[in-house]
Amino acid sequence: MSPMIKLEVVTPERPVFSAEVAEVQFPTASRGYYGILPGHTPLMTEVGDGLLYYVQDGQQHWITVFGGFAEVGPDRVTILARESETVAMIDLERAEASRQRALKLLKEALTEHDLAIAQAKLDASLIRLQAAGHPAGHGF
Amino acid sequence: MAGLQDIRRRIRSVKNTQQVTKAMKMISAVKLRKAQERLVALRPYASKMMEVVRRVVGRIRGDAEIQPGPAAQTFLSPREEKRIRVMLVASDKGLCGGFNANVLKAANVFLAECSAEIVHLDVVGKRAAEWAKKHGLTPAGEYLNIPLTGFQRVVTEISEGAAAQYHADEIDALYVIYNYFNSPIAQTPTVFRVFPMEMDRSTEDREAIEIPHLLEPDPNSVLETLLPRFVETELLRNLLESSASEHGARMAAMDKASNNAGEMIGKLTLTMNKIRQASITNQIIEIVSGANA
Repeated sequence: MSPMIKLEVVTPERPVFSAEVAEVQFPTASRGYYGILPGHTPLMTEVGDGLLYYVQDGQQHWITVFGGFAEVGPDRVTILARESETVAMIDLERAEASRQRALKLLKEALTEHDLAIAQAKLDASLIRLQAAGHPAGHGF
Repeated sequence: MAGLQDIRRRIRSVKNTQQVTKAMKMISAVKLRKAQERLVALRPYASKMMEVVRRVVGRIRGDAEIQPGPAAQTFLSPREEKRIRVMLVASDKGLCGGFNANVLKAANVFLAECSAEIVHLDVVGKRAAEWAKKHGLTPAGEYLNIPLTGFQRVVTEISEGAAAQYHADEIDALYVIYNYFNSPIAQTPTVFRVFPMEMDRSTEDREAIEIPHLLEPDPNSVLETLLPRFVETELLRNLLESSASEHGARMAAMDKASNNAGEMIGKLTLTMNKIRQASITNQIIEIVSGANA
């Protein structure tokens, strides 16, 4: 059997995911991605908002992550996320409603601060929609 | 001997008390479940966080080329503990067995033994505030009647305040005194030093020393963002431990009280029946002897 990586995603609210996977890719705080294969050199970095991607049994899967830290060892990836959910945990209706709300807020925003909050909300909802395979998420 | 009426009244009153303690037990069970759920969910995150921080700190320490930044120093170089900040966590309400007494005793012992001259005290819970008053201490922060949802705010306030104080050279360490949640019926009063971090060689990860971690973008900025989150997570965990312990302790205390009330009712009922029996016997004797006469 080819070497595997133990991927663990935990948040303060709950452990989200834990399994042996073949490949992991996660977003970093500097807007890029890290791709991890087994045997990767030990690494610590900040995680950004976006989609984590992993390969298990030749299949691709997605997990949303919102901020936190990643610790990588030769045979493990540990993500300490501020928030995170697997596709099964995503509430599609809620994400869509949140997207509509964010779009409305974005139009009404008066200050820079409001604008930033609305934009962050929109991004978060789009990430969730994209993970769940919703058409609205594809523009992201 | 107490009259039949008196005993009946006692039984009624004990029954009322038993109903109250039973209800309290049930309420505590619900609250315990809520707190425990959050605690059990947070614990893996907290222990992973601790593991990761240890690794990064071990790396910075093990590499002479890396100059420790201000955040790293906070957690690495213990100063002599002359001024400390202590967060004392007890409950707002009583009727929870030895819960408060145990943690306050631990606080007494800790303050008697520590070498600090100045203690900044933060109290969580009315019982902790009363304890501080009794000992002539003025708490810097008082957090009373905090619901589960309000913990985050307390944690943020204390951790940010403590970090600022540490950097301004006003305190040398941050401690938490709380009840550790072993199980719903067992709590251990615990004194925990959040920072400077306790790092002994045996707990440091061997691997971290053998293969150095890449730290992106650089070790100090990673630690800079990591450490405040670590402190917050630990404080939040401690508050949840205490909350779960409190409800567990109250549930156990109320369960015992309900059982005791049940026993008491049994004894009183027995006495009542004896008296009733005695009076019936008396009446029969009177009637029989009257008929004989």
